Amino acid sequence: MTALRIILILAALAVLAAVPWFGSDVLIQFGINALLLAVLAQGWNIIGGYTGYASFGNSVFYGLGSYGVAIAMVQWHLPFAVGLAFGVVLAVAFAVLLGIPVLRLRGHYFAIATLALAQVMTAIVSNVELAGQNIGLVLPPLNNDRLFYELSLGLLVLVTLTVFWLTRSRFGFGLIAIRENEEGAEVMGVNTTLYKTLAFALSGVFSALAGGIHAYWVTFIDPESAFDISLNVKMIIMAVFGGPGTVLGPVVGALSLSAISEFLSSEVTSVAGLFFGIVVVAAVVLMPRGLADVFRRFRKTGWRYFAENIRAHRL
Amino acid sequence: MTPALEIKHVTRRFAGLIAVNDVSFLLQPGEILGVIGPNGAGKTTLISLISGTLAPTSGDVLFEGQSLTGMPAYRRARLGIGRTFQIMRPFPGLSVLDNVAVGALFGHGGGHARLAKAREQARAQLDFVGLGKFVDQRADELGGPGRKRLELAKALAMQPKVLLCDEVMAGLNLVEIDEVIAVIRKVRDTGISVLVIEHVIKAIKSLSDRLLVLHHGEKIADGEPDSVLANQTVVEAYLGKRRI
Amino acid sequence: MDLLGQVLINGALLGGLYAMMALGLALVWGVLNIVNLAHGAFIMLGAYVSLYLFTYAHIDPFLGLPITAVVMFAVGYGVQRGILNLIVRAPMFNTLLITFGLEVVLTYLAQLTFSADFRTINPSYAGDSIVLGPVVLPLARLLAFGVAIALTVGMWLFLLRTRLGRAIRATAQNLVAARLYGVEPRHLYAVTFGIGIALAGAAGGLYGTVSQINPYIGAALTAKSFAISIIGGLDNPLGVIVGGLFLGILESLAALYVGPTYADVASFGVLVLVLIVRPTGLLGKAA
Repeated sequence: MTALRIILILAALAVLAAVPWFGSDVLIQFGINALLLAVLAQGWNIIGGYTGYASFGNSVFYGLGSYGVAIAMVQWHLPFAVGLAFGVVLAVAFAVLLGIPVLRLRGHYFAIATLALAQVMTAIVSNVELAGQNIGLVLPPLNNDRLFYELSLGLLVLVTLTVFWLTRSRFGFGLIAIRENEEGAEVMGVNTTLYKTLAFALSGVFSALAGGIHAYWVTFIDPESAFDISLNVKMIIMAVFGGPGTVLGPVVGALSLSAISEFLSSEVTSVAGLFFGIVVVAAVVLMPRGLADVFRRFRKTGWRYFAENIRAHRL
Repeated sequence: MTPALEIKHVTRRFAGLIAVNDVSFLLQPGEILGVIGPNGAGKTTLISLISGTLAPTSGDVLFEGQSLTGMPAYRRARLGIGRTFQIMRPFPGLSVLDNVAVGALFGHGGGHARLAKAREQARAQLDFVGLGKFVDQRADELGGPGRKRLELAKALAMQPKVLLCDEVMAGLNLVEIDEVIAVIRKVRDTGISVLVIEHVIKAIKSLSDRLLVLHHGEKIADGEPDSVLANQTVVEAYLGKRRI
Repeated sequence: MDLLGQVLINGALLGGLYAMMALGLALVWGVLNIVNLAHGAFIMLGAYVSLYLFTYAHIDPFLGLPITAVVMFAVGYGVQRGILNLIVRAPMFNTLLITFGLEVVLTYLAQLTFSADFRTINPSYAGDSIVLGPVVLPLARLLAFGVAIALTVGMWLFLLRTRLGRAIRATAQNLVAARLYGVEPRHLYAVTFGIGIALAGAAGGLYGTVSQINPYIGAALTAKSFAISIIGGLDNPLGVIVGGLFLGILESLAALYVGPTYADVASFGVLVLVLIVRPTGLLGKAA
């Protein structure tokens, strides 16, 4: 079973990696977007799915990663890789400096505090001269979509391996214990403050890398798009749609929702957003634990699965 | 010999209420100390002050001679203080085995670094408390008595030097109580000092080497179980008129 | 000095309106434990209801408020009864997500129905104002402020003094309590959400008389309502008035002294600070 699963995953990976060599330009571009969203959803999975903290601040990491690359390349004429590293440093600094006070909050309060931080960052960056204020920065173009595609895929593999490592490491168990019962974890010896901060930072590193790649690819960033809160909502939806706290759920969720969204906007352009909203509402009502749980349980329970979900959570 | 725990004039105030008032006592190595008292006597608060989930308003707690003041709960756990919760708090979504494995991964001295090792130890601990058959079940599917044992197994997997038990016998029937008493005796025989908070007086009388009585947050008696329970103040304050 | 006075007045007038916007959100959050990310979208919807009443039925926006409130109450009751009641016991992520989904749906529906153009509700007295010594009080803003404060206080009295109000407040503590008042919980939840949305809708109607509206104003208004609920705390309905005035004045001052782009930094920065220092709100009980 596990051997079969590994073969299937490797085969899927090989097909994904080959896309730029047989797919159309449009498919490759869709692929880059979908893969980067999957990285974001998987990165959010670390803090949201495994640690249980509903972060609305991951778009800040994404924005810092974008600006790290843009500032390094445009203002300081440094190579792309240095820019990525700069973005990661910014993200880790943010996670540590603001994570420690904000991670003391629980539940809705944490969600809202991170949401507010994201708003503050947008406004601050709009006023920083080095970051091009609210006009933004234009990066030197690099017309190599294959490279961007493979970079994004590599990053997705890396973040997914990291999450896989979480499921079988001491660190990951500490995070899960925090999610399940924070006080219980603390008295059993888990340094909850340190673990939460590390999870937030790790989550941030991957979001920042995704932001950096995206910035270089689209060659233009401004505060509105780099710190876009709806991007954060998107990654949460994708992770929860696929199954938060599972290794492959967020990836499957991100890729399938990206495909649905792309299909809708090409077929029924004017009402695509409406459909997206309806899909989200229906998914929360019918499959609150995500696709991963549907796959696991549907075979046993059949269509009753959906009715049982409603029965379990309704008033 | 250095006591396992030394509680020195510990007081804890909540808004307008003194939950624990100037309490001092010792827990000797390898001893089972029973703490009794009516509801609201400050028993659970006392355990929280020792395990570090609450900070005392004044006073000090010493572990093997070392002051714990200002030390966060997780570091006390790593020093070797394990506790159970009266309101049982398993990690609901994890299997029974992994609940206990968390204790083995962290716990005293920082625990095992490797998951396989930790699970092995967790399995042994579950056998020890009699939950060996339920390792693969989700923790929130266990019944009340099962959860009490799970609480014990989680704390024991930390390989503590001091074990603080918060009403591990409440809600159990007589057979189950006897089983838990046997487990706690075995725990003590491995060299762990045990502090047991309990309501069931009969059980704690036979289990404890020494008995301490709290009333309105104050210590009103401390000594041999038989003499403490015969003490006039204890009988009046705690047991009321003729209720034993 | 005149400028400062005028800015303070403007901020306070805006703050009254903010308070009313936040009241519905705080009520739903406190009682149902649902943080309604679609709250701003309902405010937007209420603004359009008032706009259409004014444009096509020639009903004055202030006199039309009861109609807007009733319409929005019905919408809110239906949404809670039909959708949100299905997930109230689900994990927090899910309630956040479903209300976000609703926000998307409402925004798109509004865009399809009303178009994306900026609109305003412009009664004949829109440009009138009262001059009071050195400061100018725009009439529409003053009216909106008065109505908002009156409704907020009225709401408070309703929760405190009436049987239904007490049942709603009891439900915030636990569900069994609702049954003690002889109210069916599903109905009670729907009524509470309906009231929250009616308040949002009425606030939207007022907002339309003092500011421009389009289908996308919702998200920012949701965020402000959050900030106010947090600053004011959830246990006391009058807290939102303090929170609203605070935020309105703070934004106006930040815009004057630091620059308009910093107005949002000020409000959200304060929100983060308040959360960190006093998670139960400035007026809330200590944790």
